[in-house]
Amino acid sequence: MAATRAAPHAREIFTSLEYGPVPESPTCALAWLDTQDRCLGHYVNGKWLKPEHRNSVPCQNPITGENLASCLQGQAEDVAAAVEAARTAFKSWSAQPGVVRGQHLTRLAKVIQKHQRLLWTLESLVTGRVVREVRDGDVQLAQQLLHYHAIQASTQEEALAGWEPMGVIGLILPPTFSFLEMMWRICPALAVGCTVVALVPPASPTPLLLAQLAGELGSFPGILNVISGPASLGPILASQPAIQKVAFCGALEEGRVLRRSLAGECVELGLALGMESLLLLTDTADVDSAVEGVVDAAWSDRGPGGLRLLIQESVWDEFMRRLQERMQRLRSGPGLDGAVDMGTRGAAACDLAQRFVHEAQSQGAQVFQAGDVPPKRPFYPPTLVSNLPPASPCAQAEVPWPVVVASPFRTAKEALAMANGTPRGGSASVWSERLGQALELGYGLRMGTVWINAHGLRDPSVPTGGCKESGCSWHGGPDGLYEYLRPSGTPTRVSCLSKNMNYDTFGLAVPPTLPAGPEIGPSPAPPYGLFVGGRFQAPGARSSRPIQDASGNLHGYVAEGGAKDIRGAVEAAHQAAPGWAGQSPGARAGLLWALAAALERRKSTLASRLERQGVELKAAEAEVELSARRLRAWGAQAQAQGHTLQVSGLRGPVLRLREPLGVLAVVCPDEWPLLAFVSLLAPALACGNTVVMVPSAACPLLALEVCQDMATLFPAGLANVVTGDQDHLTRCLALHQDVQALWYFGSAQVLFVLFCHLQHLTLPTGSSFSGNSPAL
Amino acid sequence: MSARSRGTELDLSWISKIQVNHPAVLRRAEQIQARRTVKKEWQAAWLLKAVTFIDLTTLSGDDTSSNIQRLCYKAKYPIREDLLKALNMHDKGITTAAVCVYPARVCDAVQALKAAGCSIPVASVATGFPAGQTHLKTRLEEIRLAVEDGATEIDVVINRSLVLTGQWEGSDFIKTSTGKETVNATFPVAIVMLRAIRDFFWKTGNKIGFKPAGGIRSAKDSLAWLSLVKEELGDEWLKPELFRIGASTLLSDIERQIYHHVTGRYAAYHDLPMS
Repeated sequence: MAATRAAPHAREIFTSLEYGPVPESPTCALAWLDTQDRCLGHYVNGKWLKPEHRNSVPCQNPITGENLASCLQGQAEDVAAAVEAARTAFKSWSAQPGVVRGQHLTRLAKVIQKHQRLLWTLESLVTGRVVREVRDGDVQLAQQLLHYHAIQASTQEEALAGWEPMGVIGLILPPTFSFLEMMWRICPALAVGCTVVALVPPASPTPLLLAQLAGELGSFPGILNVISGPASLGPILASQPAIQKVAFCGALEEGRVLRRSLAGECVELGLALGMESLLLLTDTADVDSAVEGVVDAAWSDRGPGGLRLLIQESVWDEFMRRLQERMQRLRSGPGLDGAVDMGTRGAAACDLAQRFVHEAQSQGAQVFQAGDVPPKRPFYPPTLVSNLPPASPCAQAEVPWPVVVASPFRTAKEALAMANGTPRGGSASVWSERLGQALELGYGLRMGTVWINAHGLRDPSVPTGGCKESGCSWHGGPDGLYEYLRPSGTPTRVSCLSKNMNYDTFGLAVPPTLPAGPEIGPSPAPPYGLFVGGRFQAPGARSSRPIQDASGNLHGYVAEGGAKDIRGAVEAAHQAAPGWAGQSPGARAGLLWALAAALERRKSTLASRLERQGVELKAAEAEVELSARRLRAWGAQAQAQGHTLQVSGLRGPVLRLREPLGVLAVVCPDEWPLLAFVSLLAPALACGNTVVMVPSAACPLLALEVCQDMATLFPAGLANVVTGDQDHLTRCLALHQDVQALWYFGSAQVLFVLFCHLQHLTLPTGSSFSGNSPAL
Repeated sequence: MSARSRGTELDLSWISKIQVNHPAVLRRAEQIQARRTVKKEWQAAWLLKAVTFIDLTTLSGDDTSSNIQRLCYKAKYPIREDLLKALNMHDKGITTAAVCVYPARVCDAVQALKAAGCSIPVASVATGFPAGQTHLKTRLEEIRLAVEDGATEIDVVINRSLVLTGQWEGSDFIKTSTGKETVNATFPVAIVMLRAIRDFFWKTGNKIGFKPAGGIRSAKDSLAWLSLVKEELGDEWLKPELFRIGASTLLSDIERQIYHHVTGRYAAYHDLPMS
């Protein structure tokens, strides 16, 4: 009865105890591709769209190069068709009660559950990522995301009253991201009532499969549409009038290009950029667990990019020994092998890593590579780079997958300086068994997401996101929902007609100003100068601009600020920033209340100034009162900072901190010269920011009146007011890379210019008064 | 058993410096089971290897010479001969690593093994097993008697009241637990112990053995334990001198899996000899 399926080499394995292949069959993924005759189109309005006369791109197995299918490249009219389908679907989808949307998402989760094998084999087959991570990680999380957002949808009417869905969301995915990145965005968007058009790179079938699964639920076919096509379709998608927001994730440079091409479109942009992560290891850490943290972050096909590793000098040797020992046990191989740690990311990622490592080597770094890795492209071994000179170009560049760059640090202070000394601010982990130290480092890191004694944990209810160049969009939890909501009654997107505006010369020079006759302003005259660093200073240009009152008489002169003055103001604001951010909420509230009281004392002067601007006395007095009330309201708000402690399924609590951005620049509108100034000043300060303000161009005198009180009440540099030519000052602010955000209230044309200049910022420019304060 | 650990000066600062992050270790324990599997020939070979690590154990109050004899015979012939032949492994002399019994049954085991004509060592649990709460004098005497009876390996229950007050003892082998506790061999605990073994080896050059015991019943479990040791310590620890699995019912599940591998069919319980 025995001995028919005898193993040929059980004997050898018995001695060597080696691992063998654990192949997962791709049969079901191939069978699905066969149902499309190995030709994938787009999925629009619940149907496959395969227009004729389109170029096609082969979808290849990244390991063997075998052609799996051909994918049609979308064109502008395909995008238009998808957006039209989404716009039509939005009408009925957003009108549904939240419970109905929740049920629909739950049904989608169940469909995914039923077809998960197809999903994970297809994803692993075409991307080369290890099937274990897709199967046990991504597919499970995708279902959790749907379930979580189904619950959010069903409580939307009560929990999110006063907010409405934005409309049609354009989603742009670059080739290096897994389908899970799409889930993090479509789940909240669909939950709150938006519909989605996703532009995926050619040769990525998994999003199409997801769209098909969603479409085949029957009802609401057009809520999720997927177009595959080149990156050049991105601006075309964004410029469709129905699109209200574009969400993008990918490489920093791609994000910048997109932002530039979207200038003037007035479409909201949510960016999540960069892939590098950071791991900070102190000498009190569980070193072996931290080694596993590095493996999780860089060498297990979980994290998208490379890792910067900061190790306290006293444990450097011990940690490096353990890490190198661990690296030797890593296994890389075909993604569809169930017992490998790392798959491949294709030839491009392999080349990128190779270039980085060669360059690092040539700059004097040590490179350690280990692991059981197939010795051919597109596989690349786990790589540890150390001794990279801090000033070398490689030390500044983003670390690519699967490279880890290790550097030593001596003290916690130095660790923070090194960690924060990059333009990237995505995610990091801190490893320390001392609670106080771990929290101190966690607070000090300028990162969107910090894990303590873990790396890369995600949960649908926990918001994660980035800061600085890594983008400002949030995923998961309530923050993820607000990305796709706007206050009820916000006017829909208006198209801007500024395509042909010359932004190279915009605001470049200030027209000269000349004496304009006798001043017949009130007495005492308002103080003259720019309010910078707590006192009134003469402008660098040493010239002034005349301000007229409502009847055209010369009201007075204000200082003409310029680039140097902006530089000085930003510097002063930065000096004040750490002190102000460190103030207790109570102290911040106290100061705003004191300013409110000062305004009330100055009420008659302010009201008469407003009268000179043509405001009736009653209205002027009301404006002053309202301004004082605003200050008090934001003072109270400073106390409720929105820090929350949340217990999640991540074996530990989640602390959500709201941190000030730093230095904000605010360009005020002409209307309501006092109220607008105060209403913009108050939230920025209440949240712990310092500000550089450009007051109303027509009537900056009201702001200067307020400055007199700020001079006596506020610490120097907390609020700085620069008067002058608004266009010129706006340009100067946009070109200052150490301004963390810019709120601009003016014409859409200028907004377009800002988009072009604000290359360093990934923050949105505010364009409305109401809603969530963008300072948070 | 391995050459006796040469031992080292007790340096309590090693212990006080150790940091263990519980959630991180729990995550690692979950991962290790998911990230490494073996299939087909590899699985069969690994399972046969696992057999050679088993301390085939019976620790019941009603043990008598007859069931000890049966156990010893099973230790000598753990897998049916025809199955081993099919795998071309019949000439490898596959037996379990040892049989493990109470001190009073050591004589029976030694005799039974001699009768079966094999040199499998007899291990005896001793020193007031499983609580260890007896006098030092009787505990030492117990060891002496078991050795006199022919036991070559002694599973000592350390005095946990000493451990809990920071007074540690040394050993050649460390065991997750007696197997008689409510919680016995778990992966998170094993990870911490294996890392300690590695640290000790790096510091002193002494290799300490590791024996998980209690609750390891399925062939799949045993494979996970093998890969755990392979991942945390390396292949050099995967030999009976340094790695044992204390188990009683595991062997029959391994035999069933081998049967399935060879024949493609699942065995009924009566198809395989009992132990």
